[in-house]
Amino acid sequence: MDPLILAALLGWGTLVGLDLVSVAQSMIARPLVAGAVTGLLVGDPSAGLRVGALLELFALDVLPIGAARYPDYGPATVAATVVAAGSPWELSLGLAGTVGLLVSVVGGWSLQQLRRWNADAVQRHSAALAAGESAAIRRLQYGGIVRDAIRSALLTGAGLVAAWAAGRWLILDRATATALTLVLIGAALAAALGGALRSAGRSRRRRWLAAGLVLGFALATL
Amino acid sequence: MNGKAHALLRLFAVQGVWNYERMLGVGIGYAAEPLLEDLKVADPVRHSEAVVRSAEFFNCNPNLAGLALGATVRAEYDAEPGPQVVRLRAALCSPLGALGDQLFWAGLLPALVGAALAAVVLGASGWGIVGFLVAYNVVRGWTAVWSLRTGLKAGMGVGKAIGTSWIPKAVPVVGYAAGLSVGFALPLLAKWYLRPFGLVSGIAVALIVAAGIAAGKLFGARMTGSRFALAAVLVTLLFRLVAR
Repeated sequence: MDPLILAALLGWGTLVGLDLVSVAQSMIARPLVAGAVTGLLVGDPSAGLRVGALLELFALDVLPIGAARYPDYGPATVAATVVAAGSPWELSLGLAGTVGLLVSVVGGWSLQQLRRWNADAVQRHSAALAAGESAAIRRLQYGGIVRDAIRSALLTGAGLVAAWAAGRWLILDRATATALTLVLIGAALAAALGGALRSAGRSRRRRWLAAGLVLGFALATL
Repeated sequence: MNGKAHALLRLFAVQGVWNYERMLGVGIGYAAEPLLEDLKVADPVRHSEAVVRSAEFFNCNPNLAGLALGATVRAEYDAEPGPQVVRLRAALCSPLGALGDQLFWAGLLPALVGAALAAVVLGASGWGIVGFLVAYNVVRGWTAVWSLRTGLKAGMGVGKAIGTSWIPKAVPVVGYAAGLSVGFALPLLAKWYLRPFGLVSGIAVALIVAAGIAAGKLFGARMTGSRFALAAVLVTLLFRLVAR
């Protein structure tokens, strides 16, 4: 891969990793956005959209509430799109999605570690915080952001290595590749629908969900 | 009071040092710093105490953190007793967390994501995604401005200000929009992905969807969508290996 593209992917993965929690939360970390931009970077926008939409369905199942542990789909989508780029999506989506899910799980674990490191840093500065030193607050804040940037860059790098390894060594026959694609499409739809049903509970929102499904189904069958 | 613009910008990094000890606390302290600058000249002792309080434990949805920031800073300028400011901060955690999570994570975000997914499938591709980013960030940015202004104006009365604001009314509406939007997008996505495959493949995918939802019901929160997917991938690979 061209070193410039590789650098751009690392930069983009770092940005989306930071966007998830630490800075901005402008939603560029959403798989649909991360995948679309990665697709443009690697010259296969269609692969970016297919992979991004697939992982977005999994992300819809997640509520990033408080101390909950959740996967980091942004850098994972960057890696998954690299796996799918340049191949027919019907054959590559399953493997790409699997790599993406695995990287997102590692990303979730890395977020937990980051929060522990941040807590350690807060403890180290506890005397300065108790004395009301504004400089200590600033140091902690910038340190936390730098740690998350390093985490995001490492996660993206690891994801790109996994993507390269999958492309080189995991050569699947046509039937297996297709089966994986279908399995992940089904699992993604189940995740999004299950998440929507849970969010709706037994409230009136469930009726709106049902109305949406009927409308979508009607348009899909036209 | 000076520093509102700086505080607003810093609110966009309020989770920069999110941790299990003080959660959003240090981020709120960081955002409060420019707002408390005037107090440094007027009352240096009070300023020092206010800085300590501003970085103590706090947690809520980051999009509504401006309400707590504004209210506590106003209370500091109004020379409210320190323990009362601490109590106000603690009392705001749960309502701002619950309202913000319902409004943004369970409402606005899935509503706009569903619309973006449907737009992509219906041919808008990149424009659907740009529309999603613009719409979300306009609402989110406006909410941040409103939150900080409302908090700074209301001070200790911020609870009442939240209760009579647009937020409690908007929560169910965005919830309905989220249900409708995600529901609308799913059949379109299913068709988009399954079009090149045959009817048998479609039936197989429908069975996987049913199995995924059943597994979620059976195992609860432990069976996340990604865990089910990885388990299904593993079973598929084993099956293909045996079938060879």
